[in-house]
Amino acid sequence: MRFTTKSLILSGSLLASAMAFGPGAAVWAQEATFVMPSDDVGAPSYDPIRGTKLNAATSLIYDRMVIQDADQSFHGQLATEWESSDDGLEWTFKLRPGVTFHDGEPFNAATIVWWVPQFAGTENAFMTDAIESVEVVDGLTVKFVMKNPDPNLLSNMSSIFMGIPSPKAYDAMGADYGVTNAVGSGPFTLQSFTIGQETVLASNEAYAWASDLSENQGPPHIKTLTLREISEASTAFLELRTGGVDMLLSVPTDFLPQLEAEDSIAVGTLPGTGIFYIPINTTVAPFTDIKVREAAALAVNQKEILDNLFGGIGAEANNFLISSLLAADVDPKLNISYNPDRSNKLLDDAGWAMGSDGVREKDGTKLQVALWTQNGTEFKRVTEVVQAQLKAVGIGADITVFDSATINDQYRKGNEHQLAVRSYSWANADIIDWFFAGSRLGYPNVSMWNDPKAEELNKVAMTGSRTWEERVANFKAYHEYVLGQFVFAPIYQPVQSYAYSKDNITLPKTVRGTRVQSQTIVDITVN
Amino acid sequence: MISFFIKRLLLLIPVFLAVSMVIFMIVHLVPGDPIDNLVQINSTPEQKAALAAKYGLDKPLYQQYAIWLGKALSGDLGDAIILRRPVVDLIALNLPHSLALGALALAFSTVVGIGAGALAAIYKDSLIDRTTMTLILLGSTVPGFWLGLLLIMLFAVQLGWFPVSGARSWDALVLPVLTVGLGGVALVARVTRVAMMETARKDFVMMLHAKGVPPWQIELRHVLRHALLPVVTILSLRIGWILGGAVTVEFVFARPGLGSLLITSLNQRDYPVVQGSLLMLAIAVMLGTLLGDVVQAAMDPRVRERIK
Amino acid sequence: MAALDPIRKAIRSPRGAGSAAVLVLVVACAVFAPLLAPYAYDIQNLPGANTEPGWAHWMGTDEFGRDLFSRIVYGARTSLTVAISAISISVAAGLTLGAMAGYFGGPFDRAVTAVVDLTWSFPEILIALILIAIIGPGLESTMVAISIAYLAQFTRLTRAQIMALKNETYVEATANLGAGHFHIIFRHLLPNALTPVIVAGMLATGDAIILEATLGFFGLGAQPPTPSWGAMMSSGTAQIFIAPWIIIFPGLAIALTVIAINLFGDALIEALDIRNRLRSS
Repeated sequence: MRFTTKSLILSGSLLASAMAFGPGAAVWAQEATFVMPSDDVGAPSYDPIRGTKLNAATSLIYDRMVIQDADQSFHGQLATEWESSDDGLEWTFKLRPGVTFHDGEPFNAATIVWWVPQFAGTENAFMTDAIESVEVVDGLTVKFVMKNPDPNLLSNMSSIFMGIPSPKAYDAMGADYGVTNAVGSGPFTLQSFTIGQETVLASNEAYAWASDLSENQGPPHIKTLTLREISEASTAFLELRTGGVDMLLSVPTDFLPQLEAEDSIAVGTLPGTGIFYIPINTTVAPFTDIKVREAAALAVNQKEILDNLFGGIGAEANNFLISSLLAADVDPKLNISYNPDRSNKLLDDAGWAMGSDGVREKDGTKLQVALWTQNGTEFKRVTEVVQAQLKAVGIGADITVFDSATINDQYRKGNEHQLAVRSYSWANADIIDWFFAGSRLGYPNVSMWNDPKAEELNKVAMTGSRTWEERVANFKAYHEYVLGQFVFAPIYQPVQSYAYSKDNITLPKTVRGTRVQSQTIVDITVN
Repeated sequence: MISFFIKRLLLLIPVFLAVSMVIFMIVHLVPGDPIDNLVQINSTPEQKAALAAKYGLDKPLYQQYAIWLGKALSGDLGDAIILRRPVVDLIALNLPHSLALGALALAFSTVVGIGAGALAAIYKDSLIDRTTMTLILLGSTVPGFWLGLLLIMLFAVQLGWFPVSGARSWDALVLPVLTVGLGGVALVARVTRVAMMETARKDFVMMLHAKGVPPWQIELRHVLRHALLPVVTILSLRIGWILGGAVTVEFVFARPGLGSLLITSLNQRDYPVVQGSLLMLAIAVMLGTLLGDVVQAAMDPRVRERIK
Repeated sequence: MAALDPIRKAIRSPRGAGSAAVLVLVVACAVFAPLLAPYAYDIQNLPGANTEPGWAHWMGTDEFGRDLFSRIVYGARTSLTVAISAISISVAAGLTLGAMAGYFGGPFDRAVTAVVDLTWSFPEILIALILIAIIGPGLESTMVAISIAYLAQFTRLTRAQIMALKNETYVEATANLGAGHFHIIFRHLLPNALTPVIVAGMLATGDAIILEATLGFFGLGAQPPTPSWGAMMSSGTAQIFIAPWIIIFPGLAIALTVIAINLFGDALIEALDIRNRLRSS
């Protein structure tokens, strides 16, 4: 009961401060307004432990043990050094001294001992699953004792869900933590959070522990930062163009040509973290025939889509992983790329003869298939071009556009879908397991693929690796097998793009990190 | 009058029960599972079952309905599954924005509509009448999102007078109010024009003319006043529009509101929010109808008699 | 042909004639789309995307290099088909439901009236969005959603007409002669109540075109590459500066069509002199 009263008071004061920042807020020097990526709209909380959807402000409120640069290398943030024992069963982290949370609480080994067990029973538990226990070595050194070797530990530790909250605030607020207030040790403190609308942050003036990815080692230059949630991309674009906002943290690629035409706007890109692809339902005719699957995959003209829909920004996708991952470096013969001659030949061989209307036929049946996609201009565009490309080899496709909540449910029915245009965002090779493991048929295994050899390779890759190198080799083997079975067709690797007003703000020369996050934002100055 | 009011209120109880049941059922007819939107990549079926139990989604439907209605009557609409806060709080966050946009747009449509309708009625069948009515028609014959985008392009991008989007200051309301308001002008203007033309044929107006009262005074003080009753009636019946009808405009201008809350939650299958905001809209609609009846009854004793 | 008399009368006024001409043109586009459109609506030419209006493409091309004029001509087909079929279903159902409620009265009437009044007060766009979430996207479900969204309007109107007609002497006389309820409803009451409902249906067709476009803007409705005016505008928002014609021309097509429907409807109402009966709901 005590918590309820307290949270009510807290939400009341948040409301008051939200109003203070509302109409007619004083024009602060060093004030900036950014627009969050549209995928972040509606993120319900700033609770990194229990939350399943977090937005771009999370990396500004919380620090993590380690963070990644654009080249996927790891850099210490709250940890300064780390090492793993040879058998991979022990990890030792040295923590940064002198760090305090926004509520004045100190950060030290005791924080980590409290923090790791909080994940048990939450949706994010898999991230810390391999950790048996955390031991204090000294006030600023901790040791993770592992249940089994997890070469993926550092990658997990750098995830946005690994932002470390103040234990005192977290325990005191209970279920309201992150909803009404959030306390971390990051460069900004949370001032107000109006879900679906905006989050107002203030500079953490005590901040003196930026990672080596930032030039500015002190508090951020921006003193008040408002992060707005805008779901309609054209509205966000118009806000930037009229100076209503200073930066869009993410821009759909189809807006880039318009933005580049504006003198006052600068556009930058970071390597992407996912691909667009077409899962092929392997349990429904005609795609039970591997020849037809291969033919459909080879009909996709990756270059045409890259050049014409995305203005050449990004890259062709020829397998299932983003090219910065080592497991993406498969035998070149197994990569899937546009080959209309082979596609036509395969269909001829499979007995599908070209019909008079440009759609192939076999035994009186037309090669007419369902092509599903979800709402959003990028999806619809790619799908319409894919439809035309399939038609070019004699495969007719009927498009259905679903909203993103319905479509997963439809996939689960298992036998109604045939082809679909999808994308994912996940910078780790274990995404192959997520989308192709036999235990998740329907969704997320939209390809409905269940193959004994693949399951064996999956098991080795997921749990049989002791070191990072072993893990890479095992995932590469699994990846290569999946490619050879043509259970999906790769399309496009997007880049992450951001855009900002050159007149209003200045970005550091190089944007560091896997996306525009705290490591870059502390360096941004207001002109 | 009071007994009339109570009687009308009592009549609403069965309607309310039926409506609440329909709202509850509708939400469960929608395919899709909120738990799927909630779970993280890599979660197990057991974790999903635990979540379903937590939100009571594993109980039989009639039990879920009884629990929901019981709580709703005591002012508790439950907690949002995806948005993780009390539904009442979410409605409280969005309702003021819907009310502000709806009420101002309504005021705009009413003032401009009555003015234009009166002008057209006074100059009946002239060029002024035709031009006014056709121009007004324009606003209601284009989709709101299109009109909104054009207004943004002109007033926010070209002229820079108003912000493009958001709800952070009062001037951000101007373009959305214009967009919604222009759509409603035609309806009000038409009703006003016809009502005024009919009133003008009534005996008492003829008498006023015969008495030598100046025509402009007759039109404004007597005819227009009598003609307002049908306008008020129509408006009180469409209160649902004021609260939930601006969803496309809210979307284009990135504004919060009850309509957007409903549609976003529907897309995320956040059942408690969808049910709560629909119930909220339904109650507003029923109260609006009641208000319309009361106003009519107060003005016209025959209505009161009929209800008794 | 007495039925055509009001139409003849309606097109005698300049407004009636002008709007009728526009409507004939739009209907002609829908019916003869393959003959009128210079290009196929679905043939892509990616290098020629976002071409300005000019001699070859006099409304320009869209983001896939497809001829915008051809897509607008074919789009008339989508818009009119959806709007007219949805409203026809709605009018038919509304006539039946309203007539039964008005004729029989009692608890059935009260139930129908309560439900109808409530849905009538809800914005059509919300009703349609919720229904499509239930039955799934696509052209057919858009039609169903639109027809249900407008059902309340026609039910109310029919019921009011029937209530007014029910007590007239000839109906009572027919009933005294032993005619069955359905005979009275369908042979005597409905034919007399029909005109205002049909005119209201015609006016609602304009609203239905806008509703279809709005659903198309949300990505529901016609599935690509089938052209729909609303979906065309929605995809045009991403090119609002580099190719504004993609969003402007479909919007003008909608505005022109809906204004014409409204003006012609008005002319028809005056010709038939049924304004009072339309408002009696």
